[in-house]
Amino acid sequence: MLNLVHTTIAAGIALALLLPAAAQTYRPPRAADGHADLSGIYQALNTANWDLGDHSPQPGTMWQTGAINSEPAGASVVEGGTIPYKPEALEKKKANFAARRTNDPEAKCYMPGIPRANYMGYPFQIVQSPRGIMFIYEFASANRLVNMGKAEEAGSDTWMGTNNGHWEGDTLVVDVTGLNGLAWFDRAGDFGGKQLHVVERFSRPDPYHLNYEATIEDPTVYTRPWKISMPLYRKVEKSAQLFEFKCVEFVEELLYGQYKKQPNK
Amino acid sequence: MRTWVTILAASASLLLSVAPAWAHHAFQAEFDKGKPVHLTGTVTEMEWINPHSWIHIDVKNPDGTVTNWMVECGSPNIMLRRGFTKRSLEAGTELTVQGYQAKNGTNRANGSSVTFKDGKKIFVGGSNPDIPEDQK
Amino acid sequence: MSTRILLFVTAIASVILPAVWGQVPKTPWGDPDLQGMWPGNMGVPLQRPENLGTRATLTDEEFAKREAQARKQAEADSQSTAASDSVGIGPPSYWVERGTPSRQTSLIIDPPNGRLPPLTAEEQQLRKEARGGKGFAGEWRGEANSYDDLNIYYRCITRGVLGSIIPVIYNNGNQILQSPGLVIIRNEMIHETRVIPLDGRPHLNPAIRQYMGDSRGHWEGNTLVIETTNFTDKDAIGSNGAGYPGDPGHHSADLKLTERLTRVDANTLNYQATIDDPKTWTKPWTILIPLKRNDHYQLLEYACHEGNIAMGDILSGARADESKAPTEPRP
Repeated sequence: MLNLVHTTIAAGIALALLLPAAAQTYRPPRAADGHADLSGIYQALNTANWDLGDHSPQPGTMWQTGAINSEPAGASVVEGGTIPYKPEALEKKKANFAARRTNDPEAKCYMPGIPRANYMGYPFQIVQSPRGIMFIYEFASANRLVNMGKAEEAGSDTWMGTNNGHWEGDTLVVDVTGLNGLAWFDRAGDFGGKQLHVVERFSRPDPYHLNYEATIEDPTVYTRPWKISMPLYRKVEKSAQLFEFKCVEFVEELLYGQYKKQPNK
Repeated sequence: MRTWVTILAASASLLLSVAPAWAHHAFQAEFDKGKPVHLTGTVTEMEWINPHSWIHIDVKNPDGTVTNWMVECGSPNIMLRRGFTKRSLEAGTELTVQGYQAKNGTNRANGSSVTFKDGKKIFVGGSNPDIPEDQK
Repeated sequence: MSTRILLFVTAIASVILPAVWGQVPKTPWGDPDLQGMWPGNMGVPLQRPENLGTRATLTDEEFAKREAQARKQAEADSQSTAASDSVGIGPPSYWVERGTPSRQTSLIIDPPNGRLPPLTAEEQQLRKEARGGKGFAGEWRGEANSYDDLNIYYRCITRGVLGSIIPVIYNNGNQILQSPGLVIIRNEMIHETRVIPLDGRPHLNPAIRQYMGDSRGHWEGNTLVIETTNFTDKDAIGSNGAGYPGDPGHHSADLKLTERLTRVDANTLNYQATIDDPKTWTKPWTILIPLKRNDHYQLLEYACHEGNIAMGDILSGARADESKAPTEPRP
């Protein structure tokens, strides 16, 4: 009798060990189009916007602001660790870094471009509609509409690109072309060129996160395509909404102060 | 062909449209009415940017030197909707520009009139999406 | 007998029901479907010419004149050789999007004379005294001491809620997208994306002020009603939100804006907005902008600030005028 109980218990334990652990494949709720619903407000919780690569804690660009605007440490979100720049492009990145206080497009309130818009210190909202998927970014009121129909070509180059999307199962794949090569990827001066091409993948691994991956290529800048990946965090407050961050007013002194009749000393 | 001004005067009583009020900014603040320019040169680059596109042209000076001028045109969105693209104005194309030089004395001018060598205006033609298909 | 009654009732219903219900299609989740591209058409003045009194529409004869003018203008625009291309200083004259003329005599439909109600005495004083007596920055008045001598459109900050939809000479793209519990309104200039929640949540607390305010929406039948509060007082009402001469101009932070969007037929979206700002105007006033559907219209990126070369040139131009010596602008 006892033997049977022991055997059953042993069999149960063996079975449990054999079953795949924590395989719970989350199935996101469906949107009206029948696909996974990615709608929500998200924000990155890492320091990728400071530097996509590994970075130590270091002073910022203005000692007058003390620890505010100083740079925290962070681990690289680049697969393989470093961006495969061509030698002349690496020199340009270093020059960008040296001039970042005035040259970082973020400092000038320029639209952040792709991929940077997705991992800044400001939230963004995905709204999935039958007419396309909107990405609305709080920073500088940047936004882009992902076309989910027949792919369209870029008539001209823009800051937020020409975005064509399709589904692969529950993953949204966005093919971004027509980027103007003027945006940076972080505050460390990482950048792309006029032939920049980004392919992004968005998916929900569970109710509270959005997995974000981007494969980046530009044969005029890098020796090969490279990839970044990170989780983005869903804002769960019932009252969550994007605020307005129209920062042009905050940067006019930086951009135009020298031309005023009475420039600040 | 009626000029712009005549058409506006005729329409004033029905207020068909307010004066062109080139709505991006006060051009008189940027360019100098007292410095008209007439430039002939070749396109080196066209920047399809807002609020105004800029055509860069190499202009040969009388003394044989070359000066690169920037010529301000309209918002590219209008032309893009008419079917033109960033490839529509190739480098090397010869253009004639009439306009006014920037007040700050730099080699920038607005392009009041921008034509090819044969006098034809750039970017005229294309389809006009102003008028919905079912109303043409 | 009963068949005749049935036919009669059906006939009446097929006339009345569409008129009343409007046969507005629904989204898959059951909201009236306002989605699509609804670009604005310039050509209707904000305020009605006084000689037209309380007439909201042009007569056939007047409208025919308007249409004829539009056709002549379109012909002039398409002339392939340059004649007098531009009036004074400005880009070539054909670099506009004129749209199609309509019969409306004015955008303002209330007060009944189609004209703005008077300003309050307080607002008149405020406009005189603003910026140390210089008045609010509106159209350029010949002074460019600093960037804030120019209006918020020239500075590429924003055109405000109404300034982004009142039609101007180009880039009048308006697009509506919907998702359960949300309506998105996109305006081409200056790349605005308004997210309107429909879930009945309260407005932001009054201490938070934004140029585009804070919007909340709900349905009344087939009409989307949007109530917007939490404005700053740094904006103006009129095309471009810039406060040009003749525009309604500066509004107070107390502005309550109520917009009503109704799709009256397959190709027409009536956009109505009531401006209620008792600190500024003695009475609320209402505009109506019928928007025509055009799904061929591409709403393109208008990265205004990023390309605002003119700002540096205007300021350095003013300094050059003062010193009579050319200065190099920032590259």
